[in-house]
Amino acid sequence: MKKILLILSVICASAVAAQAKLNVVATLADFGSIAKEIGGDKVDVTVMAKPTEDPHFVDARPSFVVQLRTADVLIDGGAELEIGWLPPLLQNARNPKIEVGKPGRVQASQGIRLMNVPANVTRAAGDVHALGNPHFMVDPIIAKTVAQHIAQSYSAIDAANAASYDANYKKFEATINAKLQEWGAALLPFKGQNVVAYHDSWPYFAHRFGVNIDIFLEPKPGIPPSPSHLVEVIAQMKAKNVKVIIVEPYHDRKIAEKAASATGAKVIDFSQFPGGIPGTESYVKLIDALVSRLTAAMK
Amino acid sequence: MKNNIFVALACGVLAIDGAKGAEPAASPAAPSPAATAADVEALRQQVQSLTELVQTLQKQVKEQQTANEKNNSNPPALPQSSEQETAAAPSTSPPAASAPSLFPTTDNAVVAAAPPVNANGTLFPTTDASVTATAATVSSTDTSSSLTQPISLTGGGNKNYMNISFDGMFALAASSERHLDRLEVGDHDPQQRGFNGRNAEIALDGAVDPYFEGFANIVLKLDNGNATQIELEEAFLQTTDLPYGLQIKAGQFFEAFGRINPTHPHTWEFADSPLVNGRLLGPDGMRGLGAQISWTVPVPWYSQVIFAVQNGRGGTAYSFRNPGDNGVFYGRMTFDREASALRDLVFVPRVENSFNLSDTQTVLVGASGAFGSNDTGPNAHTQIYGADLLYKWKSPRAEGGFPFVKWQTEAMYRRFEAGQGLADSFPVAETFHDWGIYSQVLWGFKKGWVAGIRGDYLHMEPSLFTDDDMRQTRSRVSVNLTWYPTEFSKLRLQYNHDFLEENAFLASRDVDSIFFQFEFILGAHGAHKF
Repeated sequence: MKKILLILSVICASAVAAQAKLNVVATLADFGSIAKEIGGDKVDVTVMAKPTEDPHFVDARPSFVVQLRTADVLIDGGAELEIGWLPPLLQNARNPKIEVGKPGRVQASQGIRLMNVPANVTRAAGDVHALGNPHFMVDPIIAKTVAQHIAQSYSAIDAANAASYDANYKKFEATINAKLQEWGAALLPFKGQNVVAYHDSWPYFAHRFGVNIDIFLEPKPGIPPSPSHLVEVIAQMKAKNVKVIIVEPYHDRKIAEKAASATGAKVIDFSQFPGGIPGTESYVKLIDALVSRLTAAMK
Repeated sequence: MKNNIFVALACGVLAIDGAKGAEPAASPAAPSPAATAADVEALRQQVQSLTELVQTLQKQVKEQQTANEKNNSNPPALPQSSEQETAAAPSTSPPAASAPSLFPTTDNAVVAAAPPVNANGTLFPTTDASVTATAATVSSTDTSSSLTQPISLTGGGNKNYMNISFDGMFALAASSERHLDRLEVGDHDPQQRGFNGRNAEIALDGAVDPYFEGFANIVLKLDNGNATQIELEEAFLQTTDLPYGLQIKAGQFFEAFGRINPTHPHTWEFADSPLVNGRLLGPDGMRGLGAQISWTVPVPWYSQVIFAVQNGRGGTAYSFRNPGDNGVFYGRMTFDREASALRDLVFVPRVENSFNLSDTQTVLVGASGAFGSNDTGPNAHTQIYGADLLYKWKSPRAEGGFPFVKWQTEAMYRRFEAGQGLADSFPVAETFHDWGIYSQVLWGFKKGWVAGIRGDYLHMEPSLFTDDDMRQTRSRVSVNLTWYPTEFSKLRLQYNHDFLEENAFLASRDVDSIFFQFEFILGAHGAHKF
């Protein structure tokens, strides 16, 4: 019994020591990367989902409950991308600090006008998100707004370091503004060109940089590609002279390669998440990689 | 507002053109003393920079327009149809390749004003963009995990204060045994040859207020005569706001005993329940009226302690104060008594711990108990002990949750004091030591496809003076293949081979069965727990 008490007191003591830094949990790696940029050395950031796995279907591992239980800040998408796994974790975590409406909860989609909000919802259309397409972080302008929300949340909880969070946000904003010139210029020659994607997760990227990403290997969101649909896609690709197919780490690359070999297009690995493809440990590096991979493939 | 910008723009362009036109006329004339060379140079520079600015602005406007045309979401606050401006813009000034093209770094079409954060102790906010913003913006802030806001019922603009779903599960059964109801141990299992509709379920859940969540599961079951039976399977409220990691739930609910008992058939990986669950915890699972407190222990790994108290009365408390069919249980006439002391209630403690073996492997181990009285004697008690293990591997590049491997095992032991029954209806009092185990491996080998194998063993201590088909020692092997077209539908083919110790109640000691199970879900699909 005494031993148990000792262990418990050690744990409590270490918990108090850890209080010095804000304990931030992000559901996905894109939020996690920005959470680190804004927090700097004042926060500890934990990311739940792996950057290489399908963010729609993440296992609600019990260890996530432990992370959420002690979190000061939770950053989630707020647009139902994590609806299949986050709610039971929150129920089990019992942490009032990260309830919706508290400063410790950042729902990234707040203040974002989501694209492709369906007028009618029917599951006959596949895995359609009723609130709109939730893959919005690959638009750097949206990322700036999310970064601002995160800075506001940190400052509300940890007022002593508010100036630092604000400075980090300003730095992030300036970096993105400068980088946007670079990215925009690099993709400008390919304006209006068509790109095929495996899943409809790139409308925000397409909107920002002026490429068309309207043809998908999936016949409907979340429905695996069928042979008859592939025939259709290949015909469309030939008609529109599509040179590139983008796939994410968890997609079946073989199917994309089949379509590519039939049309002479290239398959390139894309990711929504920093760390999803090599050399992309930060948000800016991820967009850098996406832009350079796309321009190289479209040349 | 945009139109105003264009008017200003056009004026600017006209003014510049005017200046350009005037310039060559002025240069051949003798320089007037008022206009020095320096002044002219300054003006020229001003004009040049203005031209550049106009060209940049025009370019931005055009880019935004093309981008907006492509964006089929019709986001609010976009400029109105502006064909007039686009037509006018190129004519006033030819596009210059030399102009520096600034990539836009803001876009009001995609982001609204940042909503203020509730910072306690700072100035009271006088504006609130999160409530004054357009409907689309506000809707994006609600999720079903919200405790205080309406939950979207069907999504989109439709909102409701609860999630509603309907789950229909059916099975087509073929078996070498005529009396499938004597072979299958669970109430939701196929119970006859041909078609079975043993579980159609209406599920409701949502936030009651900032302090409670409510859940209800109403099950409609078609018996072998196609008559509808209704069960209030679960209906309970659960706290959301208790401190120290505590949570209380109260009402009618499944006991947190092991892994399968607290879950609904929809989440089961086989078309029928394991033998040990059906025979020791009961055909309907162990559930009833009661209250439960749980505590997430503040240790660095996942650890939870759960303690429940229930009435433990009736058929859903099978091993406890259960009067049995027609007042007979294990050959004894039962007492069907009222609770006379605390020990007549059922107490169910559980501890569970989970560890990550690696980034892709998780283990969860649990131990459960259930303690109470039974109805075969005035002072007869029952104790059940259980242990469970779950191991799961999931690929780091999982799509839709596939591929994965999942191994789950549960073992239970029951000590059952069987009295002599009402009016000493049975010749002797006995104590049964019964135990059983199942172990199953599921392999999700491809998106939507799962192959499974399960082994079952149940040992029931022989009773004197009676043959009871509920007390047969038996075993079973099952294999199945499940296809999930989406997470809202399921098709499953399963083969069972049963071995029975004796065939007093069945045609043969070896039985082969095939089940084809099909299921659909309408409405909200509750997230799966680990």
